[in-house]
Amino acid sequence: MKVIVDRVRCEGHGLCEEAAPQMFQLDDEGELMVLQDAEPVPAEQIEAVADAARTCPVGALRVES
Amino acid sequence: MNTTIRRSSIDLYTDEAVLAPYGPYRELRDLGPAVWLEAHEVWAVARYDDVYAALHDHETFASGTGVGLSEDLNKVMAGSTIASDPPYHDHIRSVVGRPLTPRALRKHREDVQRRADELVDRLVALGEFDGVTDFAQAFPLGLVPDLLGWPEEGREHFLAWAAAGFNALGPMNERATAGFADLQGMLGYLNEMSVPGRLCPGSWGAQLVDAAGDGTITREILPTLLGDYLTPSLDTTIATLSSALWLLGTHPEAFDALRADPGLIPNAFNEVIRVESPVRGFSRLLTEDHEIGGVKLPEGSRALLLYASANRDERRWANPEVFDVRRADAAGHVGFGHGVHGCVGQGLARLEGHSLLGALVRKVRRIEVGDAVWRPHNTIHGIAKLPAVFHAA
Repeated sequence: MKVIVDRVRCEGHGLCEEAAPQMFQLDDEGELMVLQDAEPVPAEQIEAVADAARTCPVGALRVES
Repeated sequence: MNTTIRRSSIDLYTDEAVLAPYGPYRELRDLGPAVWLEAHEVWAVARYDDVYAALHDHETFASGTGVGLSEDLNKVMAGSTIASDPPYHDHIRSVVGRPLTPRALRKHREDVQRRADELVDRLVALGEFDGVTDFAQAFPLGLVPDLLGWPEEGREHFLAWAAAGFNALGPMNERATAGFADLQGMLGYLNEMSVPGRLCPGSWGAQLVDAAGDGTITREILPTLLGDYLTPSLDTTIATLSSALWLLGTHPEAFDALRADPGLIPNAFNEVIRVESPVRGFSRLLTEDHEIGGVKLPEGSRALLLYASANRDERRWANPEVFDVRRADAAGHVGFGHGVHGCVGQGLARLEGHSLLGALVRKVRRIEVGDAVWRPHNTIHGIAKLPAVFHAA
């Protein structure tokens, strides 16, 4: 699975950070940092990343298999 | 293939149904994934998974012809951020939304918190007050119009205009037509405010006027986009803040939990929006034939996506009617909509809500509330009157 961040749509709401804290983090400027490989997503992060993509309120995260 | 058409004579816009909507919503969820509402000639989509899927399929479920129920009134909204489709939508959203992202809002955090602290201090000292006018309205009214840069003149009409604007998104009933004069007044005001120099320099509104000046957006659409700042910035937040007060007043154990662990505040704010969603729902136009769970929705028909029902869908949530500030998945609600049209002001709404709840847990020991009187409104689900007392911590 890979995860794609749409940088135009991302507004920094940070719900992905709560769903997958080991994968996503907002930096001090509120910019989204991806902390681990986005392609492929590490096996132990797959569930959390899928959850983060589902929860993103503005549809800025997309997962593909 | 099962293509049963489910029909219902449920009218979601009687006084009874708008004041107590959860029974009719449950009935619609149980009838099927999409139910033809004879009263409004629209498909009701009431289950969470289907609402979520539609919100994330903007190509099939289009917004460009409006998101209300009356085609005449939908024409008035066309071209606004909410009533547009990508790629045009993405462009205007990025312009309208620029100051509203959590990133951009960071610099306002301290000021908003200070205002929240001041308001709560004032209300603690006051004794009994009205939770709607003195708390839920007073806070955004004292903040948002300044951020947007509106002049003093006209502000006294904002609440009536917002109410009329949202009523116009329902069916063409008495609630909608009663607001026509207000809508005219608002459109005139927005035209006036589109003239460079009318809005406070440097404000969010003035930045939008500048964007029309340098060609980033067209001059024709400017009044409409200024309207995107006016109508939605108040009524929705006000409904949520009054519901929050009512829920925390009627669930003292929940308020105690927040006092013991203020880290729960963001989740509690989501849970307020989930359990008493401020927006009943918006519609979409089907751009092609589409099937939802075996029900075929023809191209050109309209689907009413019922956010407030999805947020209480027993297929999605355990004990959906229970207000639980520790609910693990409260952030999954669709109360702000979701996807490309997810509420552009949600960062500001969260900032306001978190700041006020933060002030409450530090300064108030117990929130006492009387009987809530709910508002008869086509689109907004909120409280009209709520006697309240803050007992000092």
